Amino acid sequence: MTTGDALRLHLQGVIKTFGGVRALDGAGLSILPGEVHGLLGTNGSGKSTLIKVLSGFHAPDAGTLQIDGHPVLLPMPLGRSEAHGLAFVHQNLGLLAEASVLENLIAGDHERLNLWRINWRAEADRARDLFVKYKLNLNPDQIVADLSPVERAQLAIVRAAERVREHRDHGSAGVLVLDEPTPFLPQEDVRALFAIMRQLKESGVAIIFVSHDIDEVLEVTDRSTVLRDGKVIGTYDTARTDRDTFVQAIVGRSVSVDRRVQALTKAPAIAKLRGLTGKILADISLSVHPGEVLGLTGLIGAGHDEVPMLLSGAGHARSGTLTLGGREIDLTRLHPADAIAARIAFIPADRQRLGIAPELSLTENATLPLLGRSPLLKHSMLRRTTTDLLKRFTVKADNPEQAASELSGGNQQKLVLGKWLQLRPQLVLLDEPTQGIDVGARQEIYDRLAEVCAQGGAVICATSEFEQLEAIAHRVLVFDRGRIKAELKGADVTKASIAKACYEGAFDHAAA
Amino acid sequence: MQQRDLKYQFERFGLVIVWLGFIAIFGVMRPDTFLTWSNFSTIFGSEAVLVIVTLGLIIPLTAGDFDLSIAQVLTLVSMSTAILDARLDVPLLVVIPIALCIGALIGLINGVITLYFRVNSLIVTLGVGTFLHGVTLWIGNSQTISGVSPMLMEWVIIQRLFGIPIAFYYAMTLAVLIWYMLSYTAFGQHLLFTGRGREVGRLTGVAVGRVRLTAFVMSGVMGAVAGVLYTGTTGSANPSSGTFLLLPAFAAAFLGATCIKPGRFNPWGAVIAVYFLVTGINGLSVLGFRTFVQDLFYGGALVLAVMVSQLVSGRKERGL
Repeated sequence: MTTGDALRLHLQGVIKTFGGVRALDGAGLSILPGEVHGLLGTNGSGKSTLIKVLSGFHAPDAGTLQIDGHPVLLPMPLGRSEAHGLAFVHQNLGLLAEASVLENLIAGDHERLNLWRINWRAEADRARDLFVKYKLNLNPDQIVADLSPVERAQLAIVRAAERVREHRDHGSAGVLVLDEPTPFLPQEDVRALFAIMRQLKESGVAIIFVSHDIDEVLEVTDRSTVLRDGKVIGTYDTARTDRDTFVQAIVGRSVSVDRRVQALTKAPAIAKLRGLTGKILADISLSVHPGEVLGLTGLIGAGHDEVPMLLSGAGHARSGTLTLGGREIDLTRLHPADAIAARIAFIPADRQRLGIAPELSLTENATLPLLGRSPLLKHSMLRRTTTDLLKRFTVKADNPEQAASELSGGNQQKLVLGKWLQLRPQLVLLDEPTQGIDVGARQEIYDRLAEVCAQGGAVICATSEFEQLEAIAHRVLVFDRGRIKAELKGADVTKASIAKACYEGAFDHAAA
Repeated sequence: MQQRDLKYQFERFGLVIVWLGFIAIFGVMRPDTFLTWSNFSTIFGSEAVLVIVTLGLIIPLTAGDFDLSIAQVLTLVSMSTAILDARLDVPLLVVIPIALCIGALIGLINGVITLYFRVNSLIVTLGVGTFLHGVTLWIGNSQTISGVSPMLMEWVIIQRLFGIPIAFYYAMTLAVLIWYMLSYTAFGQHLLFTGRGREVGRLTGVAVGRVRLTAFVMSGVMGAVAGVLYTGTTGSANPSSGTFLLLPAFAAAFLGATCIKPGRFNPWGAVIAVYFLVTGINGLSVLGFRTFVQDLFYGGALVLAVMVSQLVSGRKERGL
């Protein structure tokens, strides 16, 4: 690029491969001084990998970085980014909840502080000045746990921005990276964050704003880059770009998906959910029919992923009842054992922590739910059951006694699926069932779910992969901030229409 | 594949081989004192108490919890047994059930505090153990209580089978029971998942809270059994008896987890580890080393054991 010298930050040609999968395929970013630059893309588009390359967390296979025209070696050693005038605020904000505002504010500020003697009074005065400057109603002595979510986000942003401004190795105001800081905030609080961002921009700081929310990006950014499948689709002048162009760029042209949905026979609902309220979900009702695959989706923070957790007893609902096969289940006091007894199966998203015990053997992992039936174990029988199960679910493994951690992600997931489907559940709940899984294993998992349906069971699948829903779902419910905002059925279940419903402003597309 | 199997077998029996090596070395150096049947039968009999404490420890360890109070359960139960038997003349058939109930009760307290208040079991049992030691000093007036009925000693240390005191066979019986429980019962699998995949277990319907509570009660009862046997072994109860058993028991539990079933706390590994450690100390003292070798040996073994097991599991991870 010829204007390379004027750029504050220029990342080019980044390639990053994880186990054969290209997460980044020649992606890059060019940031002008004092601009707010949006970074948009779906889950898996590569935006978080790109940010992690920038922060030094991932070493890229290829790619160059220039800051203020000076080449910077990648991967940047952890902790060096501040010296280059880069600071990051991640979604979790990186605050210690039980410490005070002041303690959090000065944490890690090694360059400026005298580490042998911290002058707390001077630091507190400095913090107060800072809060006045940014018009924040914060007190240095407050405990972070007592702050509201937006105050925490403000604190984290101001902390990062100050670091960026202090480090003037190149005499510039630096770059602040905000990685999805808003998904759990209400609208008016998002505005408060935007006010800080604008103020920082005035002072010359460039901001990279990673978000899934097109409205926010339209409102606050000057330019925006869209990533898809690890590639840059384009960098747009925000003021001259409309929402549809962004949606189009984010989702891409609809490629025809191999849709394998069998026709539904008319039958009364197998499961009815009424008044489900959880951490995010607010008074949700829905029903599923025998043989149906119901997809639940939404953007980050929409709450759709709470549904499987609460229906399986993995977490407790604030309120809600599930009617399943004529039985009423109170979801505020449902335990996993009761859910299993009611023939509900739950395949969780966090495979390494909730799906398998990695150190234990395949047999142990696969047969745990069968053990309740008799107090004594027949090892030969359990091994035979497992061998059968590995074969039936095409799990590639050396032997049933090897540790589950030795399997690939796809085979682990097939093991988890087999563990649950051997119980012949009537309701199968899934949360992001194909995360980090190769295409072949995906297809096999879809085939298993189709079998469940063919036997009269029902499947509820929460996922943020629209393509997956187009492939398997009869019906899709789109969630937004804890509520259902759209219902798509039959021929409407396409990647494009799901994306449209997701990225559309709240509630203006509500189903009748 | 063949070579891998051989390596695995070597890993399983590595500790046994080292143990036999120790015996050979000490035996060559002091054939007349170390390598005698009476020396070994004494070791087997007198260390039965340590074996039982170690066996008790591995139950909560399998479930992912520490029970640091087990040694003080032993001390308290030993003291209570001596007082009830020698001072109050309560018949043994009543004393022993009472002793076991004390152990179960303490286990229950450990479990309830750990679970209900969600405190780390390490801290809870450290506090409870110290508290129990205070109770022991109080009820025993900080003195050693002797004059325990000979009947108890008769059935613990004096009666011998194949020349080995009968206490050894009690310990082996418990080892068989725990081995059976861990390997052949659903509860054993529940313990394992509670320790190694608690959330997976919970989502699969394992009542992990109840499993942990049961594990604490079991280790409490094991501590109590060890306490009764301790009184029977020495014919008296002293208020610091258990204090010196806690570290050896942990060392043996972790060392035992590197053999027989590497990577898991297992009773036969624990038994072998106890006798390995005791043989080493016995041999060194026969050679004339003084008491400090005990601490060097136990402390060193504990650290070495956790290092080895970390290396073993680390190698497996890297081998992916």
